[in-house]
Amino acid sequence: MNIQNKANKYVCPNDRQLSLRAKLRTGWSAARSEPPLTPSEREAIAAVVKRAEKVDEVEAKRIGRLVARLEGMRRSARGPAPRTCLLCGETARLLSPLRTCAVCRNTACSKCVIDTPPHRSPLYSREPYMCNLCAETREMWKKSGAWFYKSVPKYTLPERKTTRRYAETELSRTLQEAGNSSNEGKTDSEPGSPLSIHAPSFSRQPSNTESRKSVPSPHDGPFDWNETDILTHGFSGLSLHRADSLNQRPLGLKRTSSKSSAYSVRNARKDAQKPVTQIERAPAIPDAGFGTLEIRLAYENATSSLAVTVLRARGLIGMDMTGLSDPFCRLEILPKEGTYSNRLRTKTVHKTKNPEFNETLHFFGITESDLSVKSLEIVLFDDDRYGCDEMGSATVSLRECAKSPTQLRLALSGASGCEPTGPRILLALCYSTKKRALIVTICRAAELPSQDSNGYSDPFVKLHLDPDPYHKKHKTSIKWRNLNPVWNEEFLFETRPTELSRQNLTLTVWDKDYGKPNDFLGSLILGASSKGRRLKHWMDCIKYPDHRHEQWHSLTDTQHL
Amino acid sequence: MAKTYDCLFKLLLIGDSGVGKTSILFRFSEDAFNISFISTIGIDFKIRTIDLDGKKVKLQIWDTAGQERFRTITTAYYRGSMGIMLVYDVTNEKSFENIKNWIRNIEENASADVEKMILGNKCDLDSQRQVSKERGEQLAIEYQIKFVETSAKDSLNVEYAFYTLARDIKAKMEKKQKEASNPSGGRSGVHKPTLNDARKPVTWLSRCSVL
Repeated sequence: MNIQNKANKYVCPNDRQLSLRAKLRTGWSAARSEPPLTPSEREAIAAVVKRAEKVDEVEAKRIGRLVARLEGMRRSARGPAPRTCLLCGETARLLSPLRTCAVCRNTACSKCVIDTPPHRSPLYSREPYMCNLCAETREMWKKSGAWFYKSVPKYTLPERKTTRRYAETELSRTLQEAGNSSNEGKTDSEPGSPLSIHAPSFSRQPSNTESRKSVPSPHDGPFDWNETDILTHGFSGLSLHRADSLNQRPLGLKRTSSKSSAYSVRNARKDAQKPVTQIERAPAIPDAGFGTLEIRLAYENATSSLAVTVLRARGLIGMDMTGLSDPFCRLEILPKEGTYSNRLRTKTVHKTKNPEFNETLHFFGITESDLSVKSLEIVLFDDDRYGCDEMGSATVSLRECAKSPTQLRLALSGASGCEPTGPRILLALCYSTKKRALIVTICRAAELPSQDSNGYSDPFVKLHLDPDPYHKKHKTSIKWRNLNPVWNEEFLFETRPTELSRQNLTLTVWDKDYGKPNDFLGSLILGASSKGRRLKHWMDCIKYPDHRHEQWHSLTDTQHL
Repeated sequence: MAKTYDCLFKLLLIGDSGVGKTSILFRFSEDAFNISFISTIGIDFKIRTIDLDGKKVKLQIWDTAGQERFRTITTAYYRGSMGIMLVYDVTNEKSFENIKNWIRNIEENASADVEKMILGNKCDLDSQRQVSKERGEQLAIEYQIKFVETSAKDSLNVEYAFYTLARDIKAKMEKKQKEASNPSGGRSGVHKPTLNDARKPVTWLSRCSVL
C-alpha cells in the first residue's frame, strides 16, 4: 500500500496523459472557442497566400538562376587534373603557379581563385585560396537561403520547363505559367544571364536530362543555332558535356564560323547554279574507329582553283588526359609537283572530339587534267605545343568534284606511321618501386640537326623532372661529331608514383660548343598533360611500374622552360 | 516589379492582439501610421528591400493575427521564418506576460536557428505605461534575446529593430557558412580517392612483384 502510494506520487506521465495535456494547452490563454473562418476571412487569407506565392515564384526563379549559374560553371570547368587549373585548364607556369583551393583541394590558376580573407577563419590561414567554383557554391548556399533550410529551397530553373523538387504541386504549375509570361518581358534577369539567350534552344530538347546537361554557362555568349543542333543530336554523355565546354572558347569558334559565313556568300551563288550532289560515302566505308570527316569539294574552271570546305569531323580519337583533342586538318594535293608545296591547314578547334571546322581552303593552279590524276590527302593532327600527333587521315580522288560540287563524308583511317621520323629520341622509362624512383634511360637519338660547321653536332641531353622537390638535374655525356648518338645512360629521379601523375619530365637536346652558348637541338616533354604517344608512354610507366617502357619520340624544335 | 536582390529573409511578427504588430510593419514598409485599429485577418505580409553592408536584402515580413482563433494559420508560418519579432504593448501588462508563452510557442513551432527579438511597442504612451523598460530588458536578458522599445506612431526604433534583426540573421548566415566549411573539409576526403586511384594499381602490382 505504502509502496503503491509512493509509486503513484512519482510516476512518469504516460504518452496518453502527455497527449491529453498537450491538447488542453494549459498555461496558455484558456478561452479556446474557435469559430470557423467566415468566407470573407477565408478570401482575405487566400489573397495573401496568393500574393505570397508570387513572391515565392520570384524567389524560386532567382534561386533557379543561381543554380543554373553554378551548374554552368561546373560544366564548363575542366575538372580536376594534376597540374592544371580546375576551371580553365590552364597549366602551371613559372610566373603563375597554381593555387590549391582550401575547400575542395583542387588546383586552380590565379585567375580562378579568390583570396579568402585570413581573419574569417583559422581554417584558411594555411591556404588562403578558394577556387571560384567553391566560392560560387558557398555564395549560392548563402543567397538561396539554403544555409537556413539545410537544403536548396524550391527553385525554377531559368528555362521554361520544370520546377524541380516539388514540381508536382498545383502551385508550381501556376508558377510556371506565370514564369513563362514574365520570361518574355524579363526585367529582373542579370545581364548576361543565360536564360534569355538560350530560351529557344530548350524548347527543342526532348528529355529532361538533356536539357539539364545543356543549361548554358554564362560565358557562352551568342550561341549558334548550328551549335545547338549538334548538341541535340545525342552524342555520348562525355562528348556532349565537352562539346559545350568547347563553347567556352568563343574565339576560335567565332573565327571559323564568321569565316564560313563570309565564304558562304560566295558559295551561295555557285550553289544556285549547280545543284550539290550529295554522295554519302559513310555506309560504303566502315568506320575504322578513327572517326569521320565531312568535306565539300568545289572546282572552279574559270580560276582553275579548288575550294575545299572542311565542314566537321565526328568521333575523333582522344589524345589528351581528358580524352579530348585539339584537332586541325592538313590538306595536301598529291602527288606533289616538284618542290612546290601544296599544303594548307585549317585552324585548330580546341578540346573536342567533334570539331566544327567550317573552313574553306583554296588550292590554286589545279588544271582540269589534274583532277583526274591527283588526289587530296587530308590528315588530322592533334595540335600541341610539343609537336603534333596524327589522329587519322583520308584520301579522296579529285575526280569526284570534276563535274559539280560534292559533299563527302570520309571515314578516317588510323595514323599511318607509328614511329616518328625526323629528329627523334629513344628513351625508356621505368618506375622502380624498390628504389622509389623513376629511372629514365636515354638510349639514343637519331637524325639530329647539324649545328656545327663540320656538318655534325656534339649532342648531349639535359633532363629534369618538374616539379621536383629534390631539384635533381641530369646530363648525359657528350657524343662528339654524331647526329645519331647512342648513350644508353640511366638517370634516377626520386619520386612517388602518386606524384608522378603531376610531374613532367623535360628533356632538351643540346649541341656542345666551347666559347659560345650551346646550340639547342630539340626538346621533349613527357607528362600527364602531354598528349598522344607521349601521354601513353607516361601513363604506361605509371600504370605498370617495375617494367621498362621503351619508345621513340620525335623532338620538337621549340624550346620551352 | 521585381528588383534583383541578393538574399531573401523571412521575418515574422508575433504578439498579442492589439499590441501594434501591423502598425510596426506599416511604419517600416510604408513609413506611415494609421490610428484606427483593424484586426489582422489571419496573416499578411509586406516586402521591403534593405541594403545591408552592400548586399541587397529583401525582407518578407509576415504579420500575424494576434487573435487566438487564427492560431492554427499563424503557427504554420513559424517554420519558414528566419527571424521572429515578439511584440508586446508597454501599456498592457498582460501582453508582456504573454511574451513567455509566445517564446514557448516559437520553441515548439519554429526552426531552432531562428533569430528572435523582443519589441516593446507604444513607448510613446508614457503616461499609460504599465511595463517599465527595465522589466523588458530583464526579460530579454533572461532569454538572451535582443530587446528594444519602439513606437510605430512616432517612428521610434522601428527601422533600427528590423535592421538589427536582419543583421543578426546575416551574421548567423556567415557563421553557418564557416561551420559548413568543416564538413566540406571532410568532403576533400571524397576527392582523395582520385589520388588513391593512381596509387592503387601501383601498390597492387608492387605486392605482386614481391610475391
